[in-house]
Amino acid sequence: MKKTTAHITLLSLLLVALPVLLKAQNPFEVKPVPVISSNSDDIVSVVVKDGIYFCSNRKTNPFVTRKNLDGEKLYDLYYSSFGQGNEPGRPDLYSSELRGKYNVGPACISPDGKTLYFTRNYLPGKSKKIKGESDKYGIFIAHKNGKTWSKIEAFEYNDLKYRLAYPSVSQDGRYLYFSSDMEGTMGKSDIFVSENVNGKWSKPVNLGPSVNSSASEIYPFIHNSGRLYFSSDRQGGKGGLDIYYSAYSDGQWSKPFPMSEPVNSESDDFAFYSASADQSGYFSSDRRKKGDDDIYSFRSTIIRWNSCDQLQPNSYCYEFIEETALKNDSAEMEFKWEWDFDDGNKAEGITAVHCFEGPGSYYIQLNFVNKITGTIEKNQASYTLDITNVEQPFITAPDTISTGELAKFDASQSYLPGWQIANYYWNFDDETTGTGIDIMKKYARKGKFNIQLIISSVPDANGVVREACVCKNIIVIERNK
Amino acid sequence: MRLHQHITILSALIIILSAGDMCGQAVPGVDENIPYLMTFGKGGNETSWGDDDFSQTFFFTIPKEFKEPFFIRIYDPDVSGNTDEMNGYWDTRMLYSVFGGKGCYTFDKTSQGEDPVANYKSGVMLASRVFAVDAKYDEKWFTFGPFNPADGEYYKKWSAFIFKIVCDGIAGDDGNLYRYFLSKKADSNVPIEGANAFTHEYCFRMWNNNDTAYVSHIYPFIDSGCIYLKQKNFDWDNDGNFIVVSNVRKGQRQDISSEDNWIEGRFSIQPEEIGKSLDFRFYKRSDYLVRNNNVVISVENQYGEKLPFWSAPIGGVPVYKPKVKVIKIPPKK
Repeated sequence: MKKTTAHITLLSLLLVALPVLLKAQNPFEVKPVPVISSNSDDIVSVVVKDGIYFCSNRKTNPFVTRKNLDGEKLYDLYYSSFGQGNEPGRPDLYSSELRGKYNVGPACISPDGKTLYFTRNYLPGKSKKIKGESDKYGIFIAHKNGKTWSKIEAFEYNDLKYRLAYPSVSQDGRYLYFSSDMEGTMGKSDIFVSENVNGKWSKPVNLGPSVNSSASEIYPFIHNSGRLYFSSDRQGGKGGLDIYYSAYSDGQWSKPFPMSEPVNSESDDFAFYSASADQSGYFSSDRRKKGDDDIYSFRSTIIRWNSCDQLQPNSYCYEFIEETALKNDSAEMEFKWEWDFDDGNKAEGITAVHCFEGPGSYYIQLNFVNKITGTIEKNQASYTLDITNVEQPFITAPDTISTGELAKFDASQSYLPGWQIANYYWNFDDETTGTGIDIMKKYARKGKFNIQLIISSVPDANGVVREACVCKNIIVIERNK
Repeated sequence: MRLHQHITILSALIIILSAGDMCGQAVPGVDENIPYLMTFGKGGNETSWGDDDFSQTFFFTIPKEFKEPFFIRIYDPDVSGNTDEMNGYWDTRMLYSVFGGKGCYTFDKTSQGEDPVANYKSGVMLASRVFAVDAKYDEKWFTFGPFNPADGEYYKKWSAFIFKIVCDGIAGDDGNLYRYFLSKKADSNVPIEGANAFTHEYCFRMWNNNDTAYVSHIYPFIDSGCIYLKQKNFDWDNDGNFIVVSNVRKGQRQDISSEDNWIEGRFSIQPEEIGKSLDFRFYKRSDYLVRNNNVVISVENQYGEKLPFWSAPIGGVPVYKPKVKVIKIPPKK
């Protein structure tokens, strides 16, 4: 063998043996939704089963331009039904009864579909403007009456001095999140929450410095999972407004984490909405043309199974029971029960617990030691114990790591007899993925992450590819500084 | 009464079914590993030597199908020589009596011969002989018979004829060590197929050895309806260990008596032990040698009925049967 060949061979072996360092990749595919975007501003509001609500200041009549007191074009609420391929169809103005000489802006609908929370100006377009004040807006609540919305009432904490906007109601209808510059605001605008107690909304509470900053926090969206998405122009973002999310656990909101590119960009990215656990959704951005907000859809490029089996730890521990002795009184027996576990270990007792090191076939023998004579009656009973791993992909990884800590994620203990494995796919639940039997990876933020390992086989003679998925939770804690 | 009838039927079935495998004519039996039977002369009235009553009764069962003459042979029947145990000088006489006929076993409770009282010599005496010092019989066989099997007491529940042999130490104080054999032949030991032997109180000599490998056994049979047993043993001199073994009992310790004392022990019977023999196992102590240790043992059920110790265990020698169960322990979550 030539020296160079030998070196190449050795290098190849090393490459195969060493874990792969995770490479970043785009976790989302983003594309504009031209059918509901216009040359005016279009902002996502809420997505329901059959369509999408959004607000837009587009012209509906070429001869009429609706403006507010500041001369800005008025927003209205539009609805677009999903058509073929679940793509939004041509939009229509929604519920003209809500319309007036107001901005009718971002809205949300209660889970039962009977209540609409929406943003609207306090004063109609022709009202006298308060000197030195820009036009302000609040949250209004409409109730469904057949096919129309009626009984519009103001959110009781609306105040002409403040802006209250972008309502988002929780899945159980109990919490209403919104953005405001009301008293207690830390920055230009903060996110507040109000709780519905016995049909009455509580005094709004600022979510505090873990979520809000000295900049603006707007467009909150509370996801079914409890994750709160919002937009902020705080420092450290990609530029303009960026979309962040925070999770509530142990009585506090986690440090907001920005959505990955290409959802966030150097332009304004805001009004995030996702119904299906970040797998797909919509948001608004002026990335195409500064100042012209369009609606974009996104789809996760990350494979994530909805139904992935929880990783079952392998157990090599067994209890051995000599039932005849256990059943009958053995307290005064002149014998000792001695178990030989065929792995170099022995134990005494009518019952014994032993943990083997790993899978294998073990010939367990029960010996009796005569306490009177000291003689051993060997192999008076035996049991062939075949230990196998649980038939599943297997994740070997630490349960807890620190942020920034390089950790190994290993699939080599997977036990899938009869499979010719073609691919190991990792979803680390932080919008990163990887492939390979083992991977070295760091987590950038703390939290609880549900890792999925998906193994696929090479196609069999009939072209059938088998796939199996397991998941494991990992806790990432803040590294001590 | 009904319960006893059931017990009787079960016993008969088991004994008949088991008879084909038996070779119970040697007393002590082959599986018992007991060196000698033991009877002392009653002249000294000294029980501390290991015989509580100076008399021992054994029964032989002969299947009804066996029609030929048979013999009862005695090894070393006299009291002298190397085998027997001298106290002072040889002065002991032994009376051996063979009984058959109606009532030799069933006349009443005393006819079972636990103690030499009342009707322990019930039935028809078929033969009798007294032995004293007689070198001619040292380590030699003496033969009673021939006997006609039909001269025994027919015992319907076992489908067998029963004969009784009683050894009484009628004079002197020496110890008589001896054995029996139920034989087809007068001059040699030829077993009768299906025959067996039993006693309700066993007096025997332990091995003169302090090696725990010398293990003696006796085999009581457990009838249906038995709930618990009470064993009594006498003059064990704390010589070693006594354990009970069965198919479901690996070796349960029993108390043993000290010098010239009785001790009792009670233990419950498991359902799996019904219709089978127990193995009473006697280990010699190993730390020092107890020489010439003679012991007595009997066992009775909850009704106070003495159980027979069979020379050839009914159903065979019991063997403990361990049963292994393995349970996987789920991993901790």
